Amino acid sequence: MCGILGYFRKTTATDHQLGATMLSMLQALGRRGPDSAGVALVGPAHRAAYIVRVQAGDELEMTKHAIAANRQAIQSFAGTLDGASDLSANGLYVRFVLAGQLDLPALTAAIESLGEGIEVLSIGHAMELAKEVGTPNLLESKHHISAFAGSHGIGHTRLCTESIVDLSHSQPFWGRGAADVAIVHNGHITNYHQLRRKYEQRGVRFVTENDSEVLAVYLAESLNRGATLHQSLDGVLRDMDGAFSCLAVTATEMGFVKDPYAFKPLVVAETDEFVAVATEEIAIRSAIPGDYKVSEAQVEEVRVWSR
Amino acid sequence: MVEIADVGIDAAALSTREINAMIRSGLQGGATEISIKNPNARHNLAVALLQAGRVRFQGSVGYYCGGLIDGAEIQVEGSAGWGLAESMKDGHVIVQEGAGNGAAAAIRGGTVVIYGDAAARLGVSMKGGVVLVGGDCGYMAGFMGQKGTLVVCGNTGHAFADSMYATTCYVGGTVGNLGTDAVVEPLAPEEAEMLDRLLAEHLPPAVRAEKPAGRDFTKVVSGRKLWNFDKHNWKAWQDAL
Repeated sequence: MCGILGYFRKTTATDHQLGATMLSMLQALGRRGPDSAGVALVGPAHRAAYIVRVQAGDELEMTKHAIAANRQAIQSFAGTLDGASDLSANGLYVRFVLAGQLDLPALTAAIESLGEGIEVLSIGHAMELAKEVGTPNLLESKHHISAFAGSHGIGHTRLCTESIVDLSHSQPFWGRGAADVAIVHNGHITNYHQLRRKYEQRGVRFVTENDSEVLAVYLAESLNRGATLHQSLDGVLRDMDGAFSCLAVTATEMGFVKDPYAFKPLVVAETDEFVAVATEEIAIRSAIPGDYKVSEAQVEEVRVWSR
Repeated sequence: MVEIADVGIDAAALSTREINAMIRSGLQGGATEISIKNPNARHNLAVALLQAGRVRFQGSVGYYCGGLIDGAEIQVEGSAGWGLAESMKDGHVIVQEGAGNGAAAAIRGGTVVIYGDAAARLGVSMKGGVVLVGGDCGYMAGFMGQKGTLVVCGNTGHAFADSMYATTCYVGGTVGNLGTDAVVEPLAPEEAEMLDRLLAEHLPPAVRAEKPAGRDFTKVVSGRKLWNFDKHNWKAWQDAL
């Protein structure tokens, strides 16, 4: 199971309903994935700065005291950085904005070395990632995603069929090392171990045992090499085996790729105003009123929308 | 005979079980038509109806709509999700837009008409009945079909009519590629007439007008090479999906 969804506003870069629309879609797909819920939302770009979101730990695996210590360490570290501003903490999360040109892998490694269980969730000029173990309503109560204004985003509700249920293994996954890149995935990547071994031999660090993470690693590497999102999603078809309906965002694009066997559902609605993609039509109909057509994506289909 | 008024149901505030119970009791009560507002692409609507009667959804339906029915006529004024009319025994299911994967899978009889496109695995393992798609169909349509007629007015995806027993397929557009043991056979004049009649009967005139004439369809049937194991034809077995 699992539910994935994406929404892309064509007419404006700042849709004040983006978060509310995404939340309605997530709620409709909640039954497909009761284990966790998450979103990667793309808002107005901080052109000269990065938004950094860090997870201080996981309530299922750590004591409150250890998480609080991690949170303190991250906040202190952020305070020492030149150009850091807007520092805030919310539950397990610490968020800050960092001006200037950054070496993303070095910054990520520095933050994650501050304490056991610390994980950088996302870094980007415009994208923010939030996820929680539990329902879309819990995600909303902790992060108020419905108030988020922006242009596009992707979301996920998880029914865990491999690895474990915890915050780290929840989706979306950030394309670590690439600004503003995230994926959500419904399915299984059956050559995951082979691909992971290949990446690890080259020094790439995986932070979970979730096979979907390899899609984020793959897209981040491909985009960092200079490939377009469309080329990168075409590459997924070439290099990944298994069942996948996968949605991805960059700062300016949203796209999907569907496997060669149509193992996993994915439907698309497109009008002059918006594009909505979801595992089930009910997610689109529940969230977006009006008259529009919804159709199933074809096997091996790759589509990208950009602004 | 007493004319029984149409029954109207607003699905918005009802559970799926309540909606289906109301459809069933309406048909049993002799309603001429049950119309359902706000189906909102919900799953499992109008499943396992065992009596005749008309059911009209004023919007899209989700998974398995019209599955396991015997005799009802279901009209969907929108699109349908996976497993439309799956394992239907008899009946008439019409979808005005597109249908998701596995539409008309394993039907034993009746007619499934989709004005728009059908996604992957259309009419797999059909055991009878007629499937008519106005648009294109996706990957692997007709796989292991045992009987019945599968008509696609547009183009098909790849692995079309793979490993069939004895479904007869007709394609108005281009066959993406033929599946294992699928072969093209000449179209007889009476089959062209049958297709013209079928399209005229089931598609609205404006939709019919855009579709190819019966004589322009390509007929695809089983080559029957996989019916019995043949060690000299080992390659075909290796390639079979």
